Amino acid sequence: MAKEPVRVLVTGAAGQIGYALVPMIARGIMLGTDQPVILHMLDIPPAAEALNGVKMELVDAAFPLLKGVVATTDVVEACTGVSVAVMVGGFPRKEGMERKDVMSKNVSIYKSQAAALEKHAAANCKVLVVANPANTNALILKEFAPSIPEKNITCLTRLDHNRALGQISERLNVQVSDVKNVIIWGNHSSTQYPDVTHATVKTPAGDKPVRELVADDAWLNTEFITTVQQRGAAIIKARKFSSALSAASSACDHIRDWVLGTPEGTWVSMGVYSDGSYNVPAGLIYSFPVTSKNGEWSIVQGLSIDEFSRKKLDLTAQELSEEKELAYSCLT
Amino acid sequence: MDYLALMEKPLVVLGCVYLSWKIIRNIWSFANIEKEPITVLVTGAAGQIGYALVPMIAKGAMLGPDQPVIIHMLDIEPAAEALNGVKMELIDAAFPLLKGIVATTDVVEACKDVDIAVMVGGFPRKEGMERKDVMAKNVSIYKVQASALEEHASPDCKVLVIANPANTNALILKEFAPSIPHKNITCLTRLDHNRALGQISEKLYVHVSDVKNVIIWGNHSSSQYPDVNHATVSTCNGQKSVRELVGDDKWLNTEFITTVQQRGAAIIKARKLSSALSAASSACDHIRDWVLGTPKGTWVSMGVYSDGSYGISPGLIYSFPVTCEKGEWSIVQGLKIDEFSREKMDSTAKELIEEKSLAYSCLN
Repeated sequence: MAKEPVRVLVTGAAGQIGYALVPMIARGIMLGTDQPVILHMLDIPPAAEALNGVKMELVDAAFPLLKGVVATTDVVEACTGVSVAVMVGGFPRKEGMERKDVMSKNVSIYKSQAAALEKHAAANCKVLVVANPANTNALILKEFAPSIPEKNITCLTRLDHNRALGQISERLNVQVSDVKNVIIWGNHSSTQYPDVTHATVKTPAGDKPVRELVADDAWLNTEFITTVQQRGAAIIKARKFSSALSAASSACDHIRDWVLGTPEGTWVSMGVYSDGSYNVPAGLIYSFPVTSKNGEWSIVQGLSIDEFSRKKLDLTAQELSEEKELAYSCLT
Repeated sequence: MDYLALMEKPLVVLGCVYLSWKIIRNIWSFANIEKEPITVLVTGAAGQIGYALVPMIAKGAMLGPDQPVIIHMLDIEPAAEALNGVKMELIDAAFPLLKGIVATTDVVEACKDVDIAVMVGGFPRKEGMERKDVMAKNVSIYKVQASALEEHASPDCKVLVIANPANTNALILKEFAPSIPHKNITCLTRLDHNRALGQISEKLYVHVSDVKNVIIWGNHSSSQYPDVNHATVSTCNGQKSVRELVGDDKWLNTEFITTVQQRGAAIIKARKLSSALSAASSACDHIRDWVLGTPKGTWVSMGVYSDGSYGISPGLIYSFPVTCEKGEWSIVQGLKIDEFSREKMDSTAKELIEEKSLAYSCLN
C-alpha cells in the first residue's frame, strides 16, 4: 500500500541550491525511498522561465516517487498544503550593499512568506530556512507566523556540522561515517562555534574522543574552527560559485533526521528556537546539538561547557542578538 | 520406540546445525559487514552534469543505498581548481557511503581500477564550428581515454558515454580499447527514454511510474526514434496500450516524436543551460538497471553495440530496447516493427553510419 504523497516546498527553486536539491527530494533522499512527494517550487517572476525549465527536467527524469510538480511565482499557490518548506530564496548580498540593506530586503521577504505559510501550509508544517542570514530570517518568519509552532521553525547549520565531520575525518584519515557528535553552536555565520569537545571516532577499540585522537588542541582551537567557519568562502574561491551540492545534501540530512529520527547515540546540529538551554538567551534561533524522535527535536542537555567554549557560545549569541535588533529596526 | 531412538541423533544434529546457522547470521548482521566499495569514474566532473551526478552517486542513487563507493573525478587542467572545489564539497557533505575521492587531471590516475566509467567530458560545439571540427576533437579525446581505460580500469569495467556525439564517441572508445568487451561499452539514451515516458504521462494525466516500455531507437540526436508501439500504462484494468489510450496516432507519429527529439533544445531555451539534472538522473538509472537488473516485464533503452538485431547494421552503437540481469544487458527480441517504424529506424542508422565514416576520416 503506497504512502500518501507529502508536499514539499522549495523557494528560490530556480537557483543553484534549488537545482541540486529538487532531484534529491524526488529520489527519496530527503524523506525516504518509500515516500512519494509532490514538489512545490517558488521563485520570482524574472526567474519564471528558468523555473519552468527545472519543472520540465523533473518531468524528463521520470522519477517514480514524484507524484506532481507545481512551479509558480505565486506564494499562495506555492505554500498551499505543504508539510515541509525549505526556504532557499532570499536576497543575496551584492557588491556595495551594507549589512543593513541586505537585512532589510530579507526581512520583508520573510515577513510576507511567513504570512503565506501560516495561512496556507498544512498543519504541523516543518520549516527549514537556508537563505542567509539564515538564523535571523528564520526568526522573522517565526515572529510573523505566530500560529506556526515555534518548534517547527529551524535554520540550517547541518552544512557546518557536516563540514566539521569532514575536517576531522580528513585530519585523522578515517571514514567520515565513523566520526560523530561534533556540535555547531550559534549563528550560521563566521561567529559559529564548531565544538569537538564531545565528538568521537569509532575505532576497533570502541568510540574514542576526537580531542584525544587528534592530540593537537592548538589546531582544534584555532585552524580547525576557522576552516569550518570560512569554508563557504573557500568553496566560492575554488568553484567561483557558492556551495550548492553540499548545502542541498545537508538540507536533506536536516529534514530526514528531523522527520525520521536521529540514530541511537548520535546527535546533529540544528538552528532552533532557544529555550534558554546552556544559558543562551531565549528567543533567538540558535544552533544547538539535538536528537530527534517521532518528528520532534530536543536539545541534548547536560553537556559540559568549558571556559573556552563558553566565550565562543556567548560571542555568537551576541551577534545574533545584534542581528535581531537590526532586523527589528528595519521593520519600523 | 526404536524408531524414535533412531531419529534422535539426526534430529539433534539438524537442530544444532540450524541453531548455528541462525547464530552466525545474527553475528554477521550485528557486525554489519559492509560491501567492498565500487570505484566510479566521472570524466568532465567539474562541469554541470558532473556536479549534479556526483552527489547522486555518493548518496547511493546509482548503485543502491547499501553500496559504498569511491569516486574518481577527471577534468582538464583549466578546470583543476573548480574540480578541487567539487572534491571539497563532497567532503563537506559527509556522505556515509563515500569511501574515497580522487580529483585529478591525470587520465591514468583517474582510470586506475575503476569498475564503472561515466564519460561526461568531451568537446562541446562552439559557435562557428563545423560538424567535422567537433567530431575531430572528440575522436582524439575518446581515443586517448580508450587506451587509458583499457590499460588501467578493472577488467569488467562498465562504460557509459554521455558526451555528444554519444554513440560515435562510444564507438571510437570501443575501437581503441579492443580488450574491453564490446558489451561493456554503452551510450546514454535513457534520458530520451525517460523524456518519452514523461511526455506520455503528461498527455494521459497518469503517474510516470505507471508508464513503461517505450523504446528509443538509434542515435542520441534529432534522428532518434521514440517508439510507443509496445508501450503500456498500468490502469485499474491491467496494462493498456499507450496507442489505444492516447487515441491520437497523428500526435504520436509527429508532435510527440519531435518533442522528445528536440527536448534538449527546449531545456536550453528555458534554462539558458543544458539539461544537467535530468541527464545525471538518467545516467544513474542506466547504470543502476544495468548492474542491479531491470524489473520483471519492463525494458529500458540503452545505446549498445549492434549485433544485427532488427536489421540494424552490426558494428554501430545503436539504441535498442534491453533488459538486464546479473550485470548483463540483452536486446529484447521479437518485437513487431511496422513500416513507419522501419523507415525511422533505418534513417537513424544511416546517420550513425555517416558519423562513423566522418569519425574514421578524422583519424587519417
